[in-house]
Amino acid sequence: MKFTLKIWRQQGPDDKGRFVTYQAHEVSPDMSFLEMLDSVNQGLIVKGEEPVAFEHDCREGICGSCSLVINGVPHGPERGIATCQLYMRRFSDGATITIEPWRARAFPIIKDLVVDRRALDRVMQAGGYISVNTGGAVDGNVVLIGKDQAETAMDAASCIGCGACVAACKNASAMLFVAAKVSHLASLPQGKPERTRRVTAMMEAMDREGFGACGNQYECEAVCPKSISVRFIATLNREYLRAGVVESGAPTVPEAPHAESD
Amino acid sequence: MASGETAVSSCKNRGMMRLFNHFQTSLDSKVVVALTGLGLAGFVVFHMLGNLQVFEGAEALNSYAAFLRDMPILLWTTRLGLLSIVALHIGLAIQLTLHNRRARPVAYAVREYRKASLASRTMAVTGSVLLLFIVFHLLHLTAGVVDTSFPDRLDLQGHRDVYGKVVHAFRNPLFVALYLAGQFVLGLHLSHAVSSSLQTLGFEHAALNRLFKAAGPVIALLVVLGNMAIILAVFLGVVRT
Repeated sequence: MKFTLKIWRQQGPDDKGRFVTYQAHEVSPDMSFLEMLDSVNQGLIVKGEEPVAFEHDCREGICGSCSLVINGVPHGPERGIATCQLYMRRFSDGATITIEPWRARAFPIIKDLVVDRRALDRVMQAGGYISVNTGGAVDGNVVLIGKDQAETAMDAASCIGCGACVAACKNASAMLFVAAKVSHLASLPQGKPERTRRVTAMMEAMDREGFGACGNQYECEAVCPKSISVRFIATLNREYLRAGVVESGAPTVPEAPHAESD
Repeated sequence: MASGETAVSSCKNRGMMRLFNHFQTSLDSKVVVALTGLGLAGFVVFHMLGNLQVFEGAEALNSYAAFLRDMPILLWTTRLGLLSIVALHIGLAIQLTLHNRRARPVAYAVREYRKASLASRTMAVTGSVLLLFIVFHLLHLTAGVVDTSFPDRLDLQGHRDVYGKVVHAFRNPLFVALYLAGQFVLGLHLSHAVSSSLQTLGFEHAALNRLFKAAGPVIALLVVLGNMAIILAVFLGVVRT
């Protein structure tokens, strides 16, 4: 197969960036999208040109590293998969494919197609955890959790933090990401003690990082490689409203995750 | 750990801040936009239902109008209440839109939508057009400054002749076109707004989700059909003086 690739090239964070057109020849339909980019990069290296920088790690759809907007859709035309699980047979021979990085103020471009997604880590640090005392591990099944509850928590916990929701959102909002984390922890007994503080702190962190607000268009759900449902956004909203009413002993500035105690 | 006292006082400060000072997060603003929006949607529904009395004839509509106007305190409370709800809704919506635009400084070269409806993508535009339409509507049928060819007059019961005014207005194809366009924009705005507000307020339920999703389009359709029935009935001569 043959393809014309329009790829976003940007030297560094301060570079203006532009599209460069490349030709991909002798592409096997069974190549993954990333393998196709690998072969294009090989060609560039042979020619002495700078290869295209893109992020990848596990290449089996669980690490959340790959982050390409392909023809205007994060992770490309297939549903419920990450870019690494996309195969070239999905495209018609001779097609022109536009490849862009995630675009959001909160995700500054590092180089070419690689963006800095640490904003999501900082949102997690604000409250996306449970505080557990050190000591021996608790025996399994000491805390019984209903099947439905466990399934709901697992659905939310399947978020791999790739940021496709942000990339797809008109407002570059991280609501689906925050919703998945908040819903996951709020639906389990271990997450309950900190639920009030968690939701407020994570929402504040999301705003602080420069993500937009949710417009309820549900583009995020449609591109999520784990097909996380937007009903978790409703759950997040409900958790937030509840926190506004309850507002129990929540410190205004969240303490560091593992602050020393007196 | 901080002492219990500090924790309690900081929590009180936080509550105060959130209530009186300013909105802490964009979600606070969104909740207020959703609540005021639902209030306005409720008003639009009752406005349509009340106006359907045009089909019962001049006496019914004029005495309904007189009933609404007969209590000046209630009338002005409602008017000022609506005005502040509108101001809050628009003010926060503009603030949120600017906040959202800042979140993506560089646009995509290629953009393909998978799920976002036309209505959801044009909320700022339809909202702005709706505001212009409402101002026009108030100047036209409430203040009566747009079209002065119909004098304010009383009917046989001594009520203001609202019925005559409405019939006079929708005989004019220009006004019919403007109002029909207004209905189209209103319908588009409402069809996303109502369901979206429910989501923002955390309405989510395995069995009721379809109802929440349908609420917007259904309410939008009812309001638009009701209003269009009035406009077209007058224009086509079904309702006449």
